[in-house]
Amino acid sequence: MKIRIATIARYTLIEAVRTRLPLLTLAAIAVLLGASFFVREIAITESARFQTAFYAAAMRLSAAFIAALYVIASMSREFHDGVLDVALALDLPRSHYIAGKLAGFLAIAGVLAIAVSVPLVPLAGWEAAAIWGVSLACELGIVVALSVFCAVTFNQLMPAASVVLAFYILARSITAIRLIGANPIADASSLSHRVMAGLVEALSFVIPALDTWTRSAWLLAQPASWSTLAQIAAHSVLFVAIFAAAAVFDMQRRNF
Amino acid sequence: MAFAFKSDSERPLAAVSRATRWVLLVALGVQLAWQALSPNPTANATQLGMPADTNWFHAASLGEPIPLAHLSVLYLQAFDNQPGISIPYRELDYGSVQAWLKRALELDPEGQYPLMMAAQLYAQVPDEAKQRQMLAFVHREFMRDPDRRWRWLAHAAIVAKHRLKDMPLALRYAEDITRYASSALHWARQMRIFILEDMGEAQAAAVLLGGLLASGEVMDAAEIRFLTERLERLKSVEKSSKASEFR
Repeated sequence: MKIRIATIARYTLIEAVRTRLPLLTLAAIAVLLGASFFVREIAITESARFQTAFYAAAMRLSAAFIAALYVIASMSREFHDGVLDVALALDLPRSHYIAGKLAGFLAIAGVLAIAVSVPLVPLAGWEAAAIWGVSLACELGIVVALSVFCAVTFNQLMPAASVVLAFYILARSITAIRLIGANPIADASSLSHRVMAGLVEALSFVIPALDTWTRSAWLLAQPASWSTLAQIAAHSVLFVAIFAAAAVFDMQRRNF
Repeated sequence: MAFAFKSDSERPLAAVSRATRWVLLVALGVQLAWQALSPNPTANATQLGMPADTNWFHAASLGEPIPLAHLSVLYLQAFDNQPGISIPYRELDYGSVQAWLKRALELDPEGQYPLMMAAQLYAQVPDEAKQRQMLAFVHREFMRDPDRRWRWLAHAAIVAKHRLKDMPLALRYAEDITRYASSALHWARQMRIFILEDMGEAQAAAVLLGGLLASGEVMDAAEIRFLTERLERLKSVEKSSKASEFR
């Protein structure tokens, strides 16, 4: 069982290398690093802070975008090219196929997080860069698992990418939305407000508050403690498990 | 054709392995418990920082400085209402507030919105120093384009007169409107006369009012009648005060 999952994961990694994902990642790093040097040059004071903050915030978004689109495009291609049909014709449980693909994508997310964190070492120090990088790997892990689930469920690039994007934006802003909902400026007792506030609270139970993950402030001021990082890692594992199980659930119900 | 309750592309729930169902249920349960046990987020007010340099704003606007000016004033306007917390205007750093308003005016010199915010929002706080700071800002910006910005200085004069009870300041603003804003409406250009009258300077007010009526600048019959009555009253006040001085 483990050999089959590992084989699928290995081929997922090979596919990433052959479809020039590393080249795309390096290009994104080079472009954003160049842009961050431009920001550094035009800043009158605190130029290093400006550069670090710009690179970290822009790279975080870019890495999530690259990881999500890569996973969805890869899964959709397998569905439409008939690769999945061939795989399922073999003695391969569907759950193993998803587990193998997910393991491969998680490894890609880890490598992606390491690659984008390296330029931060001279800017923010190795410890801050390492904590930021591990947190980014956890965040990308959630994005990748969600992308696998959406690719299996929607089977099309456009709706799957839209849902992942919407989920990511909502996850990054859910804390602010909760605060606004909990402390309205006027008419807190109205039915519409109570319904909306209840809905937002319900959403917060199934959406990770990604605004607390991978914060630029860790690079500029005090790095997050390792215990905070452990908590983030545990929460990430939980969400990866939820999305993976949901993807397997959908996969096992599907007729091909 | 029979109604299909189940899509052909889906297999029954029984097709899902028991392990998958358990993992999904347990993971969801743990997440729900985690969220239920987590403390609710708390709101923290963040300080309003200084805006970036004007050149930076021009570069960031990609050749569209006016929408960026609008966005910056909306950002400033919403700053008192951060997620989950409402900050009184008086607790804002007025140096930063002024810098944001100034930047918006530099990006969109014809825009009235920043001056409206200065005169109507930020000059209304119950803090005299901050009120004066904002009125001074309105006056400075008025001097850059008097014909377009006179109404906000007129408002500043009213604030100086009624809120600050600073008649000399109100008079200075009213005089500047008369002196520099040739396209200002009559009521604004006549404001200094009424401020002088309120200050007890009946003679000066009568001279100015008489001059205004003689200049032919006022064309409306009702307005001429009103101002003439006012002039007569000023003259009678002037006479009575002279008589009391003589006695």
